[in-house]
Amino acid sequence: MITIEAVSKRFAGPKGEPVDALTPVDLTIPAGQFLSIVGPSGCGKSTLLRIIAGLETPSDGKLTIAATGVARPIGFVFQEPVLLPWLSTLANIRFPLDTGGVPRAEADATAHRLIKMVGLQGFEDALPHQLSGGMRQRAAIARALSYDPPILLMDEPFGALDLLTRDRMNDELLQIWRATKKTIVFVTHSVEEAAYLSDRVVVMSARPGRVRAIHDVDLPHPRGEATKLDPRFHQFMATFRRELK
Amino acid sequence: MNAPIRALLSLAGFVLLWWGAVWGFSIPAFLLPSPGAVIDRLVFLAINAELWRHTTTTLGQILGGFVIGALLGIGTGAAFARLPRLERLFTPVILLVQTAPKIAIAPLLILWLGLGPGPKIVLVAIVTFFPAMTGALTGFRYIAKAYRDLAQIVGLTTWQRLTRIDLPFAVPPIVAGLRVATTQAVTAAVVAEMMGANRGLGYLLTAGQESSDSPAVIGVIVILSLTGWGFYELVRFAEAKLIPWRSKA
Ligand SMILES: Nc1ncnc2c1ncn2[C@@H]1O[C@H](COP(=O)(O)OP(=O)(O)OP(=O)(O)O)[C@@H](O)[C@H]1O
Ligand SMILES: [Mg+2]
Repeated sequence: MITIEAVSKRFAGPKGEPVDALTPVDLTIPAGQFLSIVGPSGCGKSTLLRIIAGLETPSDGKLTIAATGVARPIGFVFQEPVLLPWLSTLANIRFPLDTGGVPRAEADATAHRLIKMVGLQGFEDALPHQLSGGMRQRAAIARALSYDPPILLMDEPFGALDLLTRDRMNDELLQIWRATKKTIVFVTHSVEEAAYLSDRVVVMSARPGRVRAIHDVDLPHPRGEATKLDPRFHQFMATFRRELK
Repeated sequence: MNAPIRALLSLAGFVLLWWGAVWGFSIPAFLLPSPGAVIDRLVFLAINAELWRHTTTTLGQILGGFVIGALLGIGTGAAFARLPRLERLFTPVILLVQTAPKIAIAPLLILWLGLGPGPKIVLVAIVTFFPAMTGALTGFRYIAKAYRDLAQIVGLTTWQRLTRIDLPFAVPPIVAGLRVATTQAVTAAVVAEMMGANRGLGYLLTAGQESSDSPAVIGVIVILSLTGWGFYELVRFAEAKLIPWRSKA
């Protein structure tokens, strides 16, 4: 469970003036929930995610993460792929396992399984500069999944993918989520993606960054083609879109 | 047309021009000898004056000084990147030594260390030190924040971050620094030899000048150019091997 109590973040702007990236946010994310955050550019989505990850300290408020007995509780898919340019696709995906002391054979098996899942077969030995932007992003997703963290934070992970691959990755992600019961916090610009994937959607607005509304998306699971035909799915999308204006 | 053939053709053209100029303008041999005269002279020196031994002496000094300077420079750069206070403390001294003309340091080194290989190696190490240090400082200091975040998320230890992320990222600027250092290293070795030595290519240059032996002087210059060039290409080769994602990008 992730508990965010009155967490805010203030940065120093270009001229040293304070910038409120995030005005106090209260949010409780139960274990196993799929939560999406939508909002216009600059409203503090990445900032909130980075605070949850411990990459940024809140200016005020309190963050509690209950993930018992795991060495590395958090997987993070950054907005950019952040692959190591001298490592092959396989070695990049295996990187957290290698540095975490997982035996080579086991790490290889996991990495190969993930490569298949994200559709990068045949590119195991390619260096990042030999991959397309979308392929790099998929490798980064596989890397975040490699050590099976109970909490997965994803910052616009599918933004660089074509629609078809994006749909496929959405379904893969839902399948992983169902199978592993991970807590997932997912940042996206797509209201459709948010409605399709999530248990709960947080809509944010900008300047200053704040939570505008929170919705429980009680569409039935498992989600699939039928979900996209459900009138309520379209109602959710329309609501989010309206609130984003 | 591939690179070696192009280089060969370009060189052949240059030699041809040289020949043509000597022939066409009847330049006296004591000013500009023909390529043939230079080669003859080099062959003579090789047989009678241990040209090979002079060459290996200079090469050894360049290589020894280069390795020492590179290692010290990389270590210092890495330390400075981690400890900015240390850098601020030493920067004035380093700048002072760096801005002093290296030719001016050579006589002092010879006074201190004598006519042997010592002062040459030290001078080469000094000129190699600065570009190596600057490269390492840049490389270790400016690692993109995103990679520090990655290191934190996947829980790398300090040592793992140093060896698995910081060091590989520092390689390109370090190698770039070393590339700059190669030409300076050759110059430094020769300058130190010209100021006081009893062997080496720099010593041959001085001896050739004193006896107005222009074919020998030009011949030694050619050997030195080839040495510098080969050295530079060696570092470039290492660069391509070490940084495949750069050379192909
Ligand atoms: N390190 C920083 N220093 C100063 N200001 C920052 C910093 N990081 C973010 N900001 C500011 O905080 C605000 C929120 O940024 P954030 O990256 O969280 O937005 P975002 O919602 O993720 O936007 P996008 O959808 O474009 O990724 C912006 O106004 C940004 O300029
Ligand atoms: Mg963002």
